Amino acid sequence: MRVAGWISLFMIVLITVLAFQGLIGFSESGPDWTLLNDSYFHNILAFSLKQALLSAFLSVVLAWPIARVLYYLPHVPALNSFLSLCLLCFVMPTLVLITGLVVLAGQVEWRLYGLNGILLAHIYLNMPFAIRVFYQQLKGIPDSSWKLSAQLKLNHWQRLRIIEWPSLKSSALMLLGFIFVLCFNSFAIVLALGGGPQSTTLEVAIYQALKYDFNIPEALMLAWVQLLIAGGLFLMVSRLGSANWLSVDTASDEWRPQVKGWRYWLMKSSYYLAWLVLLLPILALFFGLIQGDLSRISLASLIRPTLITMSLGLFSAVIGMALAYAMLNPIRQMNSLGQTRRRVFFEWLATHALVAPAMVVSVGLFIFLLQRIDIDRWGIVFVALLNTSIVVPFAVQKLKPRLYQFDAQYGDLSRSLKLQGWALLKIEWPFIQPVFLSTFALILVLSMGDVAIFSIFGSKEWTTLPWLIYEYAGTYRMAEASFASMLLLALCALILWLFEKAQTPHA
Amino acid sequence: MLKISQLIIERDGKRLRYDFQLEEGSILAIQGLSGVGKTTLLSAIAGFVEPIEGLISWQGDSLNSLPVEQRPVSYLFQDHNLFEHLSVMENISLGFGGVAPRANLVEAADVLHVADQLEKQPGELSGGQRQRVALIRAMLRPEPLVLLDEPFAELDPKTRELSTQWVRYTAKLLGKTVLMVTHQSEDVDRVADECLVLEC
Repeated sequence: MRVAGWISLFMIVLITVLAFQGLIGFSESGPDWTLLNDSYFHNILAFSLKQALLSAFLSVVLAWPIARVLYYLPHVPALNSFLSLCLLCFVMPTLVLITGLVVLAGQVEWRLYGLNGILLAHIYLNMPFAIRVFYQQLKGIPDSSWKLSAQLKLNHWQRLRIIEWPSLKSSALMLLGFIFVLCFNSFAIVLALGGGPQSTTLEVAIYQALKYDFNIPEALMLAWVQLLIAGGLFLMVSRLGSANWLSVDTASDEWRPQVKGWRYWLMKSSYYLAWLVLLLPILALFFGLIQGDLSRISLASLIRPTLITMSLGLFSAVIGMALAYAMLNPIRQMNSLGQTRRRVFFEWLATHALVAPAMVVSVGLFIFLLQRIDIDRWGIVFVALLNTSIVVPFAVQKLKPRLYQFDAQYGDLSRSLKLQGWALLKIEWPFIQPVFLSTFALILVLSMGDVAIFSIFGSKEWTTLPWLIYEYAGTYRMAEASFASMLLLALCALILWLFEKAQTPHA
Repeated sequence: MLKISQLIIERDGKRLRYDFQLEEGSILAIQGLSGVGKTTLLSAIAGFVEPIEGLISWQGDSLNSLPVEQRPVSYLFQDHNLFEHLSVMENISLGFGGVAPRANLVEAADVLHVADQLEKQPGELSGGQRQRVALIRAMLRPEPLVLLDEPFAELDPKTRELSTQWVRYTAKLLGKTVLMVTHQSEDVDRVADECLVLEC
């Protein structure tokens, strides 16, 4: 099993290495470092940092009060549905969101393009994720802390300072870093809602350098800068090291402070407002649909792209889970042996696809393969493979805490009972099953939303549903774009719902 | 006076009944087999458990409808009495409403041989030291009614003797009414004025 882990790690790293090899090999002059003194580069870097920083900060700050509402008012109507909606928002294909936001902006005459639109879309995608993480952390506060605080008659401020903040502090820092990296590397949203050097990020600048100018030295230089900043930050975030990431065992929560009076009403109003905000872009799709020419919508034209999207997603999710589980094996051993530095390094390697610019990896690999295979024929295989490498970090991040927890609780016992291989897996499976299934659903939905990789390797013959939405929206066929978006969103929601239902309570 | 009148509490499908009273300034030891409802009684007086019938009153006023935060009670739980991320000094300064009586806290810590532990984190303390630290706060808080759930369980014989003497001395000095759950008869002899043995 450990050998499979090393092979998986090697394969994931190999994809990135080959991609960079493709770019470096093609351009003999290497990165164009003279750009460092260019005001064009300064503008792009400043905007990339500004939008990522603002997106991360606002997402976290807005998520916190909503998470508190969910925690303090556990009996508000449809709380579980709200949490499901949060998950759906986080994994929502970006083109679906963009279509919804464009229709919505058209209705209320907002100026969506530029920093405002980018921030809005980033907050919409990431705030719900932060809500879920904060909510899980708050649920981890043990009863005994609340009982003690009630007994000691601590006031609201003291509770916040002594109980809530310490439970959220590490998550808040990790969330800031994680969302910053996601937004720093954002592609589709900035491409669709940005424009001009004043609102372009490094990722989009790399795409433009490659697509319009085929200026590989410039693209390489931008890619290195992006990798250094995002990678460095992600390494720092990894070192913060809280294990409670996307999943956490909930402690017993029978006793928690009651909220009364104006605080109760303020919290309840915030909850309904959050519902409304998260639903608006989805509801806007209906407006897009009814305001367009419905007769142009052809169901038949959607069937093949839908099947292709699902097949690609399933492939990436199955292989992605297998790779993530396998590569966590040697990393778990390092964790058990207390080899912190090695563990952090290999964790970073396993999740590096999160920070390696997807556009650079796609184009680099494209150039590398161009002279070696018939890409027109095999392109779709590389869409599947690259999508898999993109979702592996999410699978690793979600599975890791649960597997570490298993090792901490039962590692010694399993070893003393000499459980190995299949026997160990049989014991481990019920423990990790709920997290495993929810992770599978998450990465399945994430990979179904890809546009960036398809834009490089895809072909008309293998058009996916997100690409079809992009084509419709690009030609202002908003009714068709809205309909296809609703179909994709419904599929994503169905998958999340089915897998949530299939989960058994934590072992 | 603390009055527990015809109190009935349901716990794990079992009905527990209590009926007794305690003079102000007295110390009552509560004994009985495990599972008989000793901790449940303290939890009900503190407001964490809701009785299905009966009355808990202090100085003639019913406590039944008061939330935990408004009851005149200082409670030492069996465990989880300290916030692990705060220093010992910060921990024992909590629960005093305004400014904590630092000099009194340090003096008590000195008597109970934990004065040199005050700047440490709770995780650095032994079980016995943790218990004494929590005991100091429970006894010195400005609440007239003190509930102690097995306060000396983790202490060695010598420290136990010291702590029992200090609890009795402090309770009498400050006029506290104390209910103390214990399994040890020697604690009853050293600390309590009365003993209540609960039966199934």
